Amino acid sequence: MERFFSNKKAIAIFVLPTLILFTIIVFYPLIQIFIKSFYSWNGLSKGTFIGFKNYLRLFEDTTFKISIKNGLIFALFLTIYQIGLGTVLAFAASNVKTKGRNFFRIVYFLPVVLSVTVVCQLWLSVFNSEYGLLNKIFQIMGMDFMQDWLSDRNKAIYVLAFVNAWQYLGYQFALILAGIKSIPNHYYEAAQIDGASPLKAHLKITIPMLSETYRFCLVLAITGGLNAFTQMFIMTGGGPGTSSYTLTYMMYSSSFRAGEYGYGMAAASFLVLECLIATIVINRLVARERIVY
Amino acid sequence: MESSVKQIKNSKIPINKRRKPNLNITNIIFKGFLWIYATLSLYPIVWMFFYSFKNNDEIFVSNPFGPPTTLRFENYVSALTQYNVPKYFLNSVIVSLATVCLTIFLSTMFSYATARMRWKGQNFFRIFVSIGMFIPVQAILIPLAILVRDLNLSNKYLSLIIPYTAFNIAFSSMVLYGFLRSIPMELEEAACIDGAGIFTTFFKIILPNLKPAVATLAIFNFLQAWNEFPIALILITENSMKTLPLGLLFFQGQFTTDWGAMGAAMVIASLPTILFYIFFSNQVEKALTIGGAVKG
Repeated sequence: MERFFSNKKAIAIFVLPTLILFTIIVFYPLIQIFIKSFYSWNGLSKGTFIGFKNYLRLFEDTTFKISIKNGLIFALFLTIYQIGLGTVLAFAASNVKTKGRNFFRIVYFLPVVLSVTVVCQLWLSVFNSEYGLLNKIFQIMGMDFMQDWLSDRNKAIYVLAFVNAWQYLGYQFALILAGIKSIPNHYYEAAQIDGASPLKAHLKITIPMLSETYRFCLVLAITGGLNAFTQMFIMTGGGPGTSSYTLTYMMYSSSFRAGEYGYGMAAASFLVLECLIATIVINRLVARERIVY
Repeated sequence: MESSVKQIKNSKIPINKRRKPNLNITNIIFKGFLWIYATLSLYPIVWMFFYSFKNNDEIFVSNPFGPPTTLRFENYVSALTQYNVPKYFLNSVIVSLATVCLTIFLSTMFSYATARMRWKGQNFFRIFVSIGMFIPVQAILIPLAILVRDLNLSNKYLSLIIPYTAFNIAFSSMVLYGFLRSIPMELEEAACIDGAGIFTTFFKIILPNLKPAVATLAIFNFLQAWNEFPIALILITENSMKTLPLGLLFFQGQFTTDWGAMGAAMVIASLPTILFYIFFSNQVEKALTIGGAVKG
């Protein structure tokens, strides 16, 4: 038995491909980010060591402040929309008969299987200032909300966050619904006997019991928000001006457009730290004890 | 042996027929809410289908909301000639499927060695690989681009498959680790007594037991690879190698005024996955349910 489980050759065959791949593709570049963030580097030559200059420049850069702020807005928006709304919808769906529940689940999940570019283009045409669906609806209803949604400095980031939230709500919804269905029914029966209303039963039983699901959902929503890139790239190009920049976008444009790789790496290392801190905080605060039914 | 494994798993599976707390007014509000969101979720997609059959006059002026009055299939013809949608679609399928297969293959082996075998450093390496979960793919974009350039991998399928796999391994290994830990050790003991070697045991006995977890991960990884944008944007420049998210960037570059053809291209790109999902939605949900129970 011992020989079976500590078969060295087998262990090497099982483990080495993964370790090699992971070290080269993930770990080595990760180290590179932190090292090269101290360099002035154009991506081709060796680059020159400049100490903390990239970071000092970063802290004075207004684009960096906008990027950090937008990342937080994006993450908060995703959390409220996907987890808040997703929870309410999942509660509602858990009361519906199986047939109807399947219908809603399929409808909510459909945007997830669309290509992200299709979703962005689709919403671009919805938000189009002249011909867009949204302005057309306002026009018909006689309301005075018609506007150029994506050219507004203050609104653009929320519109982008909405598009991302809309696409992935179905995924979070399915996770939460699956979590609710795995809670044993006798908890609810007991609550009913004690005279608790359905809403109260959900608040006192479902939400605490779902803490592990929520931990996973929160990590997805928050890191997804901090990393946001695709929506900006396709829908606004970071604009108007730099008002919808995020850290990833900033890293992208300073490296691949301005050729300042070292500066881009400094922004990237901030992104790594942000995501690391967010994940650690979520793991510390939510679902510290494993629930066993 | 087999049945005892099943029993342990069954005890976790919820009873389907259950009575949830029920009240009429709450029910009506809940139902209304579900329908309102269903509209918000579905109508933009339906609207896209509608306008893929319309001409500009219908989209902009005469009939922006409703179904098309005449089915203009010429939109689809011009979409197929203007945009190379089937090629992009094929590229996406190849990259996503290869990523799924490679990820599952590598992470089942890796997590088996860390979860059940005994060797020095098994915990260290397990945690080492799990770093990948906390790092955003986008963050290492620049060094990755340079690495791929140095390895001469640009504009090949592998230049996407390898990074996607390397990143997905972390999550997959963690899920599989939890799953493998919950299978009783007697499984291997029995196989060992029967004279099976480690590889036979792994492929013939362990892998079949991992099916539910693997199904979850296949779907999860597929969706990740299917919608990945930034890496593909940096590493793929050749038109014939583009994946769907890249290929469908109409608004970038030239400004498109032919909304009908654009809509048709988007429908062609979306229809296969939508149909696939509708046919297999139960499997997808089952997979997610088990994913919910395993993760963490």
